Amino acid sequence: MAILNRKERVSDEIPTASMADIAFLLLVFFLTTTVFNEEKGLPIVLPEAEQEEVDVSAKNLIFFLVQPDGSVVVRRGESEQEQVVAYNQIESLLRAELAANENLIAAIKTDPRAPYKNMINVLDEVKLAGAERISLQMLEE
Amino acid sequence: MAKRGGFKRKSSASEEIPSSSMADIAFLLLIFFMVSTVFRKEKDVNIDWANAEATEKIDEKRKNILHLWVDAEGQVFINDQLVTHSSIAGVVRPIYSENRNLVVAIRGDRDVPYRQINEITEQLKQSGAVRVTFATRIEQRVQRARR
Repeated sequence: MAILNRKERVSDEIPTASMADIAFLLLVFFLTTTVFNEEKGLPIVLPEAEQEEVDVSAKNLIFFLVQPDGSVVVRRGESEQEQVVAYNQIESLLRAELAANENLIAAIKTDPRAPYKNMINVLDEVKLAGAERISLQMLEE
Repeated sequence: MAKRGGFKRKSSASEEIPSSSMADIAFLLLIFFMVSTVFRKEKDVNIDWANAEATEKIDEKRKNILHLWVDAEGQVFINDQLVTHSSIAGVVRPIYSENRNLVVAIRGDRDVPYRQINEITEQLKQSGAVRVTFATRIEQRVQRARR
């Protein structure tokens, strides 16, 4: 009988030809979805505790006073004159000052009640202006 | 002829690229990456990040970085431990003396009063760990102009 003679057509082996594709697909998926948590931020080096005080002449100082309400006041070292500036003006202002005096130290004085983000905003602007010498201080109450 | 037989001989090497071991190679790679992956042990403290356009990538080995979290209430966490402000120097000093290349990453909440941050930096000065970064998220110029 014809039916009894018919041979089994389905292979009894596991199909392994596409195994490589599956494995590489998994590999590529994990490679692309992996997120490396790299450290990002604004680096700064704090002065050491036992460092002797260095006298800085007033003309090499520019103060950025961060007020509790978030406004920023600029005071140049030798003059008592104060000037309120907006955050987006700080960069160009400091850039001009640095061009005139490359030894300038940008001192960021923050009020203890001012939120941290305002101090970061000023530090951001100061960094963008290319200042190398930065000092962080807290305003006395 | 015996001499001509050489030309007639068929090549016994297969013309196909041997792909049967490809799966083994791929799985080997997969297993290698799975095994060599190190997961972070530290838990994240829920904070609102400060943004800055000047944000730089800190090119430092992971083992040289100490995370110091400051949450919105001003609580300080080092290595998942709640630390009082006055004991930060005591906690950081032994870590710093073991690893002189230590960089302390201050991950502060954006709304925490500056007083807290100042206390932390003062404590870090006491401990000798003077390389500090203020961890921030990168900010676009357009957003920066609006603040």
